Amino acid sequence: MIVSPTKITYFFLLVLCFACTKSIDTDQLDDASFESTYLFTLVHLSLKAPKFLDEFNQEIPVTSDMVKVPDLDDLSPYLKRAEFTVETENSFNRNFTLNIFFYDINKKLIYTLKPVIIVPAKSGKLSHILTIPENEIKVLDKTHYFGMNISLWHSTSGKLIKATDPSEFILKSSLKLVVNLNKA
Amino acid sequence: MRKLILLSSFLFTFLISAQNKQVLYDFAQLPQTLLLNPAVDFQGKFHIGVPGLSQLSFHAGFTGFSAYDLLADNKVSINDKIKDIYNSFGKSEFLSFNQQMELLNIGIRLRDNSYVSVGYYQELDVLFKFPKDLVDLFYDGNTVLNRRYSIAKLAGQAELLGVFHVGISRKVNEFTRFGMRAKIYSSVASVSTKRNTGEFYTVKGTDNIYKQHLSNIDVLLETAGIQLPDDVEADQSYLKSQFLFGGNLGIGLDLGFTYQPKEQWELTGSLQDLGFIYYTKNVESHRLRGTYALEGFQLDFDPNTPDTYWNDLKDNFEKRVKKDSIMSNFMNFRPLKLNGSITYSFGRKRHDDCTFINRIIPYSNKIGAHLFSRLNVVHSYIAATLFYERRFGNSLSTKITYTADPFSYANVGLGISARAGAFNIYAIADNLLGLRNVYNMQSANVQLGMNFIFGAY
Repeated sequence: MIVSPTKITYFFLLVLCFACTKSIDTDQLDDASFESTYLFTLVHLSLKAPKFLDEFNQEIPVTSDMVKVPDLDDLSPYLKRAEFTVETENSFNRNFTLNIFFYDINKKLIYTLKPVIIVPAKSGKLSHILTIPENEIKVLDKTHYFGMNISLWHSTSGKLIKATDPSEFILKSSLKLVVNLNKA
Repeated sequence: MRKLILLSSFLFTFLISAQNKQVLYDFAQLPQTLLLNPAVDFQGKFHIGVPGLSQLSFHAGFTGFSAYDLLADNKVSINDKIKDIYNSFGKSEFLSFNQQMELLNIGIRLRDNSYVSVGYYQELDVLFKFPKDLVDLFYDGNTVLNRRYSIAKLAGQAELLGVFHVGISRKVNEFTRFGMRAKIYSSVASVSTKRNTGEFYTVKGTDNIYKQHLSNIDVLLETAGIQLPDDVEADQSYLKSQFLFGGNLGIGLDLGFTYQPKEQWELTGSLQDLGFIYYTKNVESHRLRGTYALEGFQLDFDPNTPDTYWNDLKDNFEKRVKKDSIMSNFMNFRPLKLNGSITYSFGRKRHDDCTFINRIIPYSNKIGAHLFSRLNVVHSYIAATLFYERRFGNSLSTKITYTADPFSYANVGLGISARAGAFNIYAIADNLLGLRNVYNMQSANVQLGMNFIFGAY
């Protein structure tokens, strides 16, 4: 007999004797944290001279638009930081000021993204990064609309924009949302 | 229609039917081995399993990581452990669970030395496989341009069913036995998603900084027995009727052989669950397919136009990526299992004076190798086993196995079958080396059962 029942029994008991657990610590899950960054494409526009003129071809100092934004309820508990990238190109010979606003469900202004962007006249591609820091990120929970105002600066030379002016104001944008899974 | 989430835990218990019962395979002292190879020459004249207790079988496994990898109480920070787990994640990993409970198992040897067996068992079989791309997207985000996140390897299958079976093991000549088992499947509930395609990626845009793509998305989720009509209660009588041929029905076949070219050598092979289930009752499938590219909202700064950007985007998305609910019948093939083994028996031959029929006389010792393969559209894999089997008279048999499978390259299993008179009890477990630290086990397989075996030899 190569292996006896006694040896089998001893082996089985030996195996069971070695059955054990090494120490684990489930509390450390409270410290688990990792950041992921998600990239979203946002608004873009290309505005030509008529957008800055009224029906009498008079300059409109401020032009604006507003977009309803999707709910971020699922992401909200995890949001750490939001970083907007805005790229501009301006071939008008006039400066522009660009304001980005956040509105609540009643279209009441609740937040202005800073800094305010100044787009110089005849400027090529410029990139601007605007951040909503961690201590202000909760504003996104209440945000239902996202608005943009483009203000045309007064002409210093007295030369006004004409409807036939081929100049263009181009804006491109994206959003990086940094989420932290320990923030829930 | 009222939405009834039947067995939600079963849906979210991410799990494969591993079903590699390497210890039980060719363990001829146990009638349950006939379910793995219907040709095996079961060593008895008649058997009846204890109803509900003749085989309780559980398997659970996850190829990705163990609880200990994540929660070990050591000086490594939890975030470093998460990072290590993430870095070691394969192209796809799977979670699996399989549970079987045998309610009926009876067999009898016929005069021509054939062995006929009949039975019924309940099975819960779940597999979920997920690709690394989705883990990357979750852990790292999508800031890498041109990186394609594919859902091609996202697949899963979950099935709760009852199986009625009848089989015969027949000796065709001095050296060879063939076996066949016919099965009728009655599916209580089924969810599956497979052959999914599609990619998500971000590239530099033209009108905007980035352009984001959902490319060739085609995701199909098929369900049966999950969403029930309003007038149906998922109570005990409903489940009972579904298990006993009231569910979605299918048929299957097991085939097997044993061949003994020399007295001490034996080759065996089997093919299990060559069959399908055709779903006609309470079926509901959902399909999402299309291609969509987004560069963002183009603002027109027109004060006379109301803000419809978001609704326009949703409408445009829904036009290009169609979501359909499908009520048509569908079919799923059962996961096909293949077994093959070669064995060499040696040691003292047992006396067999009481057996008057011609059969292979068992030796006391048997060594061999066993290959198992599971083929399925969700996930296929192979496992290899070396084993040693030892008999101690009529009363005790043991088998020890060493298996390499996707969960472990060092899976040691042990089976013990004991008999007192006609009463037989057995216990089988694998991954015994994992018992050194249970938290570090990535899979476990346990089978327990009791039978009455008459005329055992």
